[in-house]
Amino acid sequence: MDVSYLAVAPEILLLSGAVIVLMVDVFARPAARVHAWLAALFYLAAAGAVVGQWRRVSTDGGSLSFGETVLLAQHTAALRGILLAAAALGTLAAWPMLAGLGRRAAEGVALVLVAAAGFSLMSVSVNLVLLFVALEIGSIALYVLCGIVRDSPAGDEAAVKYFLLGAFASAIFIYGGALVFAGTGEMGLPGISAFLGTTVVLRPAVILIGLGLLVVGMSFKVTAAPFHSWAPDVYQGAPAGAVGFMAAVAKVGGFAALLNILFLGFSRYQETWADGIAVLAAASVAVGTLLAIVQTDVRRMLAYSGVAHAGFILTGMTAGLVGMPGVVFYLAAYSVMAAGAFAAVSAVSGDPPQGPATDTFAFYRGLGRRSPWVAGMLSLLLIGMSGMPLTSGFIGKFEVFRAAWNGGFRWLVIAGLLASVAAFFYYLRLIVLMYFGSSDEEDRAPADCAPAPVRWALWAAAAVTIGLGVFPGPLLSLLG
Amino acid sequence: MDFPVLTALIAIPAASAVLIMLLPERRAEIVRPLGIVLSLLPVGLSGFLLWRFQRGEAGFQFVEQVGWIDRLGVSWHLGVDGISLLLVALTSLLVAISLGASASVTHRLRLFMAMILLLEAGLIGVFLSLDLFLFFVFFEVILIPMAFIIGVWGSENRVRAAVKFFLYTALGSALMLAGIISLAFIHQNQMGTLGFSYLDMLNLELGTETQRWLFGAFALAFAIKVPVFPLHTWLPDAHVQAPTAGSVLLAGVLLKLGTYGLLRFALPLFPQAAVDFAPLMATLAVIGIIYGAAVAIAQKDLKKLVAYSSVSHLGFIVLGTFALTSQGLSGSVIQMVNHGLTTGALFLLVGLLYDRRHTKLIADFGGVAQGAPVMAGMFLFMSFASIGLPGLNGFVGEFLILIGSYASLPAFAVVAAAGVILAAVYLLWAYERVFTGEASLPANREVRDLSAGEILLFAPLVAVIIFLGVYPKPALEVIEPSTRAVLERVEEAADYVSPEPVVEFLSGER
Repeated sequence: MDVSYLAVAPEILLLSGAVIVLMVDVFARPAARVHAWLAALFYLAAAGAVVGQWRRVSTDGGSLSFGETVLLAQHTAALRGILLAAAALGTLAAWPMLAGLGRRAAEGVALVLVAAAGFSLMSVSVNLVLLFVALEIGSIALYVLCGIVRDSPAGDEAAVKYFLLGAFASAIFIYGGALVFAGTGEMGLPGISAFLGTTVVLRPAVILIGLGLLVVGMSFKVTAAPFHSWAPDVYQGAPAGAVGFMAAVAKVGGFAALLNILFLGFSRYQETWADGIAVLAAASVAVGTLLAIVQTDVRRMLAYSGVAHAGFILTGMTAGLVGMPGVVFYLAAYSVMAAGAFAAVSAVSGDPPQGPATDTFAFYRGLGRRSPWVAGMLSLLLIGMSGMPLTSGFIGKFEVFRAAWNGGFRWLVIAGLLASVAAFFYYLRLIVLMYFGSSDEEDRAPADCAPAPVRWALWAAAAVTIGLGVFPGPLLSLLG
Repeated sequence: MDFPVLTALIAIPAASAVLIMLLPERRAEIVRPLGIVLSLLPVGLSGFLLWRFQRGEAGFQFVEQVGWIDRLGVSWHLGVDGISLLLVALTSLLVAISLGASASVTHRLRLFMAMILLLEAGLIGVFLSLDLFLFFVFFEVILIPMAFIIGVWGSENRVRAAVKFFLYTALGSALMLAGIISLAFIHQNQMGTLGFSYLDMLNLELGTETQRWLFGAFALAFAIKVPVFPLHTWLPDAHVQAPTAGSVLLAGVLLKLGTYGLLRFALPLFPQAAVDFAPLMATLAVIGIIYGAAVAIAQKDLKKLVAYSSVSHLGFIVLGTFALTSQGLSGSVIQMVNHGLTTGALFLLVGLLYDRRHTKLIADFGGVAQGAPVMAGMFLFMSFASIGLPGLNGFVGEFLILIGSYASLPAFAVVAAAGVILAAVYLLWAYERVFTGEASLPANREVRDLSAGEILLFAPLVAVIIFLGVYPKPALEVIEPSTRAVLERVEEAADYVSPEPVVEFLSGER
């Protein structure tokens, strides 16, 4: 067996981190912040491992290991970098909530580490069984994280909903895997690719249905319409600080799996699946944008905007391998912006919320005056999500549109551009409320809200959004 | 490499905005003078440009190019030619004046100053960009400070106006982005690499069908910005709701982005389509001239009147552009500058009147000249300039446009000429109702006249208006070579022959 510890070093480190945090908690019972520092240490170590992988990949090229189940390549290393960044930002953003758990803070920190490890493993898996295992490791950690605040009925509801629909998606995925296995006799994506490359499949229906089910299963995870229905409820009920992390890592993991399955395993059928992905993309962009417009709750708006973003990322995937840099760049941009935006939401509403209706748009009225920095950073992130130039969101959109245009899906690009304009409406609406209100009396927004860790998360997210927007060159050339 | 003047013209306002945001919020006594002083730096730089610009040259000067996103072939590529030079100077001048005229803004002054300066950076960036990607970045980024200026410091319905303005223009630029992406691919197919350089794009070979689609995408974006009838509906809202400085910059510079874009991109990049669509664009322009003027006559609100007069005047500029004659094009460019000066000044006057009387309704005024003769005189002077009285700048532009379009589209020119008469009707009638006669209300008699400081704000505008009206030759020497180059390109690429000028008038070369 070809063992490459480097290929799975980040997962090993993250999982050891989770175990050590829990053990330290059992034996030493330290203050909550010790866990945060421990986690930070392991994030750093894992980041170091990712850098090591980068160096390996850039000198030796991609490589398979563990019996062709783990792929170390440019995009898998990049995706792990994104996951780590999202996990670090998520821990920071969720810190007030985690610290508020008192004795159980270690649980929260460990769950974030486990979820990161699971989705990270998912991004390198090129075997359907390993993919499934990784998916479950990550997802189950997220279900628990969702309901970690025990006395929050909304959180419980969100956790149950997430769990049921998530399990349903997993079942669909595994069924798809079974059909693909029935059709090709392979579970490994390289094997499937080789099989399809050498065998003339006269009746590919079983394989294609299997592929379709795999895509549907992942569509749940990445909140692509029409498989998005859980997202608004979960984003609304789960602890705000953790939502950004959940949104980001589930999308990164899901899209990584889609990338590997479609580009690596089924590149032979690209002409067939590209149309399907395009339809999925159009549906997500349309549904996400239209429903986001009518929301009155910031979290639900962000959830639907996440659906639209999933659609934009899928737009980039229609082009096949050419679209890979754009897709990964978009994922990086979105993950950071989503984690940052939810950090701001948790700062404004308090985490757990300081009262009813703290997530409504109306609650943000006058935030620009009362908490100028939080409002400024949140505006910047919203502007980034809307795809304004000089933010990472613009470059991401530009790249996926460019890829799709190149791939011949011009109608999809036009639809995406029009949706981007409509999307300005709901991002702008929040900014309008924060800044354009006239009298101070109607203001309900909290003054000088963000606690220090949340503020750091906001600063970091804003800096990355602008940094990648103004100088996207280095990251893009790394990916290309 | 010399001092990068053009980069400095963009970087200085942007850096000034950041600097102002770092000042303490409550120190208005520092923020205001500092903002005004900082806004004078770009004025100085554009003065330097005007001084060092080689007149009689068609190409781009002071060109700077630095790689930016190499992977996409995007570069920080700036240059100035006869079409953009005066517009850059106009922008820096109007920004300084509108900051000086913002004494009535006290609410969140720091953010206000920063937003105006950011807007300036973006506007100058649009005029200087020689890379389509860079151009799009500036074109789009401008929306944010402008929406803030309207939305935070505007009057009652400001939020609606700001959002409407934002969405309308964003819609146009979204389709233009599709056009830019597809141009970049054509670039890739024909030149081997992805790229957005304007100068390279000029060498692409585009089929007629492709040109029409791309022209449509670009022209729609610019037509919304101009705004060309029937896409003008955002404009009255935005103008009326915007604070004075916002209206001045909106009318003075922002609308020019549209006409500038048509002249800089739509014509040279898609010459065949431009020739094909010229009758359509000219028709819309003439409808805009007459419609804008007619609606202006009917206005009860002074600010709205000036706003609709912009629709009419911008119609002239579009007509001159799509007349596709040398005189028409030059007239368009000079008229862009003229309109910025005169309409900017008119909005400034309306704003000062509003500060004094807290009303914009014409019916509330009457006899204001009794107490404020200098202000009345200034309004009359600016009205004359706007109408196109010979000896003032408006005459040069409108005359060039009319004789230029008479050569190629005589019927259009005849109808458009009626717009000049209508302009006299609405402006002079407004002057009569607001300033002359017996003061109907005591408040009108007691309107404070322009202070020395305010006169100082108008002084440069008056000077330039008279200078351009009496001696337009230097300006035309700057403009003509570049517009002639555009026309030659259209003639060459589209197999089009522009008609001989009907009258030789003020040609810089002869």
